[in-house]
Amino acid sequence: MEIDPGPSEEHNVNASTEDSPEIIEQKIIALAHTKTKGISDKDILSEMPDVQPVQRALVINKLLSQGLLDLYKQDKILLYRLKDPNKVKTAKGADNEEKIVYTIIEEAGNKGIWIRDIRFKSNLMPTQLNKILKSLETKKFIKAVKSVAASKKKVYMLYNLEPDRSVTGGAWYQDQDFEAEFVDVLNQQCYRFLEQKRKETKDCRGGPIAARNITFATSREVWKFISDLGISKVKLSVDDLEMILNTLIYDGKVEKTLSNDGTYLYRAVEPLLEPPGLIKAPCGVCPVRKNCSDFGDVSPINCQYITEWLA
Amino acid sequence: MSLFCEKLCSVLLLEHFGPIVQSVGDDLFKHGAKSLGFIRATTGLPLPKVKEALCVLLQYGFAIHRQTEKGIQYHFLPDKVITILRYPRYMFFAKKFCGDEAEMMLEEVLKRGYETASQIIIKTFHRLEQHRSEHQSSLSMLKDKFELLVKNQFLTRSICTETMDEGPAEKIECNVPDLNMQAMAQIMQGNTDDPGDNKIYWRVNLDRFEQDLRDQIMVSAITKRVDENAGELMRQLLFLMYLRTASWADTSNPIPYSEIKEAVRKINYPLLVQYLDQYLRLLEEDSSQFLKRVGDSGGGQFSINTKEAFSQLAWTTVENIVMERFGSKAARIFRLVRSRKYVEQEQIQQLAMIPAKEAKHLTYTLLQENYLQMQELKKAGASAAPTKTFFLFYIDLNQVVRMEIEHCYHALYNTIQRREQESASNKRMIDKQLRIQTLTSNLKEHGATEEQLAEIVEMMTPSEKLQLEKVQNTIKKLGGSELQIDETLFLLTMYLHYH
Repeated sequence: MEIDPGPSEEHNVNASTEDSPEIIEQKIIALAHTKTKGISDKDILSEMPDVQPVQRALVINKLLSQGLLDLYKQDKILLYRLKDPNKVKTAKGADNEEKIVYTIIEEAGNKGIWIRDIRFKSNLMPTQLNKILKSLETKKFIKAVKSVAASKKKVYMLYNLEPDRSVTGGAWYQDQDFEAEFVDVLNQQCYRFLEQKRKETKDCRGGPIAARNITFATSREVWKFISDLGISKVKLSVDDLEMILNTLIYDGKVEKTLSNDGTYLYRAVEPLLEPPGLIKAPCGVCPVRKNCSDFGDVSPINCQYITEWLA
Repeated sequence: MSLFCEKLCSVLLLEHFGPIVQSVGDDLFKHGAKSLGFIRATTGLPLPKVKEALCVLLQYGFAIHRQTEKGIQYHFLPDKVITILRYPRYMFFAKKFCGDEAEMMLEEVLKRGYETASQIIIKTFHRLEQHRSEHQSSLSMLKDKFELLVKNQFLTRSICTETMDEGPAEKIECNVPDLNMQAMAQIMQGNTDDPGDNKIYWRVNLDRFEQDLRDQIMVSAITKRVDENAGELMRQLLFLMYLRTASWADTSNPIPYSEIKEAVRKINYPLLVQYLDQYLRLLEEDSSQFLKRVGDSGGGQFSINTKEAFSQLAWTTVENIVMERFGSKAARIFRLVRSRKYVEQEQIQQLAMIPAKEAKHLTYTLLQENYLQMQELKKAGASAAPTKTFFLFYIDLNQVVRMEIEHCYHALYNTIQRREQESASNKRMIDKQLRIQTLTSNLKEHGATEEQLAEIVEMMTPSEKLQLEKVQNTIKKLGGSELQIDETLFLLTMYLHYH
């Protein structure tokens, strides 16, 4: 990205060099600081009229190669803009390819990006890309995080970022493994809490509506109960607990209603029916019913399941 | 109609009416409506036998005849045959509402298909004499009971006449004819006399019993959901519904609050009277949606939504079946899909909080067993690659219910088969016990000594007694199981009736 001083400019290096390149450098940086949108050649010229174009070009080229400035083109005018100090730091000692890969990963934010997507975006060869990623990793610019969505899939993100919930799975994952037991325990405890509330209504005297209202609990109350129990090593949020309560709804044990102030109320409910008679019979839950007929190995006459059930 | 429905009907007919009726029933089931000649041709039975079998089928209402341009055609009604399974429950109902004698009368009618009032009363009287001589029952008392049965609409006039009148009689008179009590007493003594109700036949009002069973389900569901008082309120509401609505309507006409209050006051439920408003609100706000508030005039107008109620009940039943068959995690997925309507695999495992592998396994098992359905959704113009397609899971309740009804038929058929098998393989012993019983009672009447009786009892060896007891328990257990399966079948059939 060498800047050509332009044919119109005179090559007059020796003339009027009062300022050393270092001072000019400082001045330009200071100028760029004031204008975040970027500075053009014109701005520099008006600010520092005594600087020779050649000298200016030299200084700017130096700054560009150091990665302190960015070069933009807007309305056919070249603009220089100061780079973010963080970015400057990371770009240090990295070559162009590394910079590109770095920016791609940076764009992905805390969701991370898959290596294949990096390859498509950067158009780099897989071997080269691997090398770059490894080098960025050893320099601790980026890190690889295993996603819970697919255990084999690694995503890359900047080193200092906290991975998104969708990548780590939130409180329910430990080292990319879903903690089914933990969820089950919480599920049972939440139900126990709500069921307890329902039992309390047995000796309620305020009429059926009052009795029902006692059974309601907000998610915050359940959350408090669970936190006080101390069964969770991880800090759970109310949202986490609402997920658990939702599973209870899908278990058919709990009902959710919207209260007047817009929060959800939960309560334990009895199912409408006893288990149906069909499944109390051995044929109701028979695993080989499809093969069952009057003849052959599976038939009601010599059925093992019925025999066991009758015994 | 399905294979197992056919098999079940066939086995029921065989059990209760023998092989000839069975083969005629089978024939009608397989080939649809047919005339007498065709039935004879396909079954290969002699004409008188076919006629007899058809008579039996018509008598019990398992078939109807219709006049068409091709002559008289006979239609088979499988649903009615399956009601045989519910006869014990009907009798229990009659007993609950009208007492033991009424139960016996109902049994007589069920046994005969249809019968005249005088015959029913006379037969019941005979039976009562045999069973409990200490309990005095008079003909007039039985007549009252009979009238009670008619008043409760458990019995209805049979329109089956000897002439071939087409179409149902416009208005069936449901008044009990005046019975000549003296003539009946004469008949009792073995003389012939005219009791005054010749050709006025009565049959069991199956429709009414179905309604009762239906109401029973709704009441017990509410009792389970809320409490006893709410259950009783539901029962009262159902009574009020009958006053103003056709019994099989989807929703009842609005019932005003004042009438509910009036009805509730008459029964002895102090808590219900005190908190009537609150109970009504509870039922109305409950997610089961049995009751709906349709207006505010006169303190509120309420309507029972039977259609919605049975859809809720069917859901609960199916969910329960899924739970028992595939475990509670599968039931969780099933309910999740129900509440989300259409949902992707990814979402299922996230929302149900089940490990990905297990969730996939369960979802696809449910899909394979037809509890879940899959809908492919392709973006317009996109390639047909599977990665570009959305796979959404959903439930077709109607289909699941039909599948479960089939399942019930199968289970019933199997249970009956097994029961038949058990009793057939132990026939010798059961017969022997029967013989000993008759012998003992005969000897008792002739004044045999204790020793003689003991001798006869000892004809059964201890091991035989043990075996017999076992077989009887087995048969009892299987019979009980039949009743239970039928309960499920009834509920699911009700769902289909409304949807």
